[in-house]
Amino acid sequence: MRDVAERALDEAVVAGASYADCRVVVRTVQTVEVKNGRVARVALHDDEGVGVRVVVDGAWGFAGLDRIDARGAEEAARRAVRIARAGSRLRSAPVRLAPLTPATGEYHTPVGVDPFTVSLERKIEVLLAADAAMARVPAVTVRDGSLEFVRERRLFASSEGARLEQTIVESGGGMDATATSDDEVQTRSHPNSFGRHQLCAGWEAIEEMALPEHAERIAGEAAALLTADPCPAGRMTLILDGTQAALQVHESCGHPTELDRVLGDEAAFAGTSFLVPDLLGSFRYGSEAVTIVADATAPRGLGTFGWDDEGVPAERTVLVDRGLFTGYMSSRETAAVFDRQSSGTMRADGWSRLPLIRMTNVNLEPGESSLEEMIATTEHGVYLETNRSWSIDDRRLNFQFGCQNGWEIRDGRRVRLVRNPLYRGITPEFWRSCDAVAGPDEWRMWGVINCGKGEPMQSMHVGHGAAPCRFRDVQVGPA
Amino acid sequence: MLRRSAEECLALADAVLAAVPHGEAEVLVTEDDLALTRFARNIVHQNVADTGLSLRLRLVAGGRVGVAELHGGAADAIERLVGNAEEARRLAPAQDDLAPLPEPGGGDGDGPCGWSDATAAATPERRAEGVGTVIAAAAARGLEAFGALSTRSTRRAVVNSRGLRRHGQVTAASLSAVVRGEDGAGYADRHAVDVDDLHPAAVAAEVVETAERNQGARPAEPGEYEVVLAPYAVQEMVAYLSYIGFSALAVQEHRSFMRRGERLMSPEVGIRDDAADPLARPFPFDFEGVSTRRVTFVEQGVCRDVVYDTPTAIRDGVASTGHALPQPNTIGPWATHLVMDPGTTPVPELVAGVRRGLYVTRLWYVRVVHPLRTVITGMTREGTFLIEDGRLGAPVRDLRFTQSIVEALSRVRGISDERRLELGEDGSAVLVPWVRLESFRFTS
Repeated sequence: MRDVAERALDEAVVAGASYADCRVVVRTVQTVEVKNGRVARVALHDDEGVGVRVVVDGAWGFAGLDRIDARGAEEAARRAVRIARAGSRLRSAPVRLAPLTPATGEYHTPVGVDPFTVSLERKIEVLLAADAAMARVPAVTVRDGSLEFVRERRLFASSEGARLEQTIVESGGGMDATATSDDEVQTRSHPNSFGRHQLCAGWEAIEEMALPEHAERIAGEAAALLTADPCPAGRMTLILDGTQAALQVHESCGHPTELDRVLGDEAAFAGTSFLVPDLLGSFRYGSEAVTIVADATAPRGLGTFGWDDEGVPAERTVLVDRGLFTGYMSSRETAAVFDRQSSGTMRADGWSRLPLIRMTNVNLEPGESSLEEMIATTEHGVYLETNRSWSIDDRRLNFQFGCQNGWEIRDGRRVRLVRNPLYRGITPEFWRSCDAVAGPDEWRMWGVINCGKGEPMQSMHVGHGAAPCRFRDVQVGPA
Repeated sequence: MLRRSAEECLALADAVLAAVPHGEAEVLVTEDDLALTRFARNIVHQNVADTGLSLRLRLVAGGRVGVAELHGGAADAIERLVGNAEEARRLAPAQDDLAPLPEPGGGDGDGPCGWSDATAAATPERRAEGVGTVIAAAAARGLEAFGALSTRSTRRAVVNSRGLRRHGQVTAASLSAVVRGEDGAGYADRHAVDVDDLHPAAVAAEVVETAERNQGARPAEPGEYEVVLAPYAVQEMVAYLSYIGFSALAVQEHRSFMRRGERLMSPEVGIRDDAADPLARPFPFDFEGVSTRRVTFVEQGVCRDVVYDTPTAIRDGVASTGHALPQPNTIGPWATHLVMDPGTTPVPELVAGVRRGLYVTRLWYVRVVHPLRTVITGMTREGTFLIEDGRLGAPVRDLRFTQSIVEALSRVRGISDERRLELGEDGSAVLVPWVRLESFRFTS
């Protein structure tokens, strides 16, 4: 790998690059899917290639090629240089990068049990056991379960002298039970919706999910939701479970604190941000209960690594400090606009894509409350679990989320299950209404495996530490 | 540039098949070249390209199926692919009702492919030229341009051990642009098979005009409005209808709104999948190598058929319509060439007929709220205008909508005689007109 990277850098510099970096990436993904009692798919996916990024005549160019050898490296470098040169006439000022001391080193995801050493039979056994438990509930007509394991070896080398080798390991799993009637479809998931929950961890993460043990419960909940009362409508207290709190953080704090969005790099696609630089350090984003950090050093998160894809060391940046907006996620180029250092959040979806500012682990810090205490001190409201739909505007202000499961709360007690719950709001108003976050005992690291951004579209795995939290006076209603 | 011809992709697929030691097998070979020049604040800020080969092997023997995929051009690719697929197959439980591999049918190369040599050979200089046209138009008016111009070419070959052999190729060129002023923005895009059909000057003129019109937007009260939706917005509705309910698997699992033979929409509404429509980036076969047939979903407002792959077709005792994704999968069949019938009304007359309503350029971040009722939510973006007494009026701030698609399309008051090719989130072609709807629900 190292020889290939060196060859790419040499070729780029000779061809005129004032800066070049090269990533050599080898990724293996194992997927097992079970549906309705059958093994629907057992697949091994290998993905390998080289990506070369250059600055030529003050402009960026990038080329990816699917071969890891000297010829491939040279070809990718030459193409990147030509591309940069073609774009340079449409660039008024040259690219400027925040300074960085080039590093050398290695990083490996800490794992208990390497998931690739666990037999396929064991993986299928877990999923089939969960499927059989879901099948005990007759109203459940569709049962899905899946496991996914990722091992990615990546080498980063730059013309400044960085030489970094990392091996990232991920383990993910999940299941869905779908119940149907003539006029209703209801799905319950565990541990999270939209396929699976995933961590930078080993097989132990799958054991912790206890899929077979939770299977009959979610199947029963899906069936019960078919005939549950619709969610009540009106302004009321809202309590979110940890998974929904994680997605709320993702959409309404993670994305708007990406500095490339703020500067307009994503204006035509993913959008911009309401958190403009003038607000930094003075804008009340949320209540005193709300502290949010971007932390690439947090254990087990999908955004945990040694260095980002520009060679910047993993960092912890406070985005919101006790309600005050205090920080951005940045790259070397965007940080330079403000004469700052990069916060180390440039990440690429494989060798074929350009690194972009992406969330690492954007975490809502734990508070001092608990779910039971929040419910016990709520006069009227709803407790919502597990995301079902999510939508937010291009500045990340106006949002609407739907959840799979809802409980109406009256006088400190859950009184009835309610279906098709929605809530909506405006980001800072919403977070300012947060009056409680559960403590460390209920705080978990969650994984989002489908964060889309960029053109060409890149799908990123990001982490979110979160705990149940409570919001006052929120607009709630049925779908 | 792609490195292999369609015939060479087919030969590579044959070589993989020949290396399979036993049982039945299906090989899918895809070579893809994508280049994209991205601009923001009137400069090119990202400029990328990648070329990659993907091999996929489905191995079936003894009632067990294993799949291996390899994205990369390693010298030992075939050996690794076969070894990985066999390992997955060997460890998978035996099943007695596996869907068989498709038999050969139709002829090699039948049906049109949307291919353009100009797109396949497009250079970074050519992309910069198109981008420069948009930037210059924006800058001339004191505005800032953002967007991307991309060119893509793809070759695909499918072979299986039953003798099926197919190959095809397709290109795509896209230009999307947002132009922003001090207090508002506009949007325009074009998609085509041939990069020569992107017409950057026309895109620039449209997006600059929308941006200049959309300055200083005022809030509008949420509620029910009569609307005229531009194709950028109609695309979202049609693509989400397909996602929710145009697949046989969704019907079999009781997740689809489709009730065959029932009139759910206005008589003007016709929606189908047509992989041979020359305006919809045609491609003749699916990922199993089965010829893609035309399927009518909605005819004169009445629900008709859905798309099938081999497993769902066997379940219903019918033939596959040629809409398979790579098998096996849990997603089911997928419509990739959505076409909505045009109407007879010129676009200006759609607006002229509205006494008070909204013109919506684009929808954003659309998500399903309730699949059976086809309720979606999302925001308007980059160009929402009042229509007053038949004329496009003042801009209004973006609004959130929460609306049943079927319900909206049951109250059609007009469909334009002109259509645009758009692309769905998954890259599928969606050919759609402007649509005037009696009522659309904006919630905040």
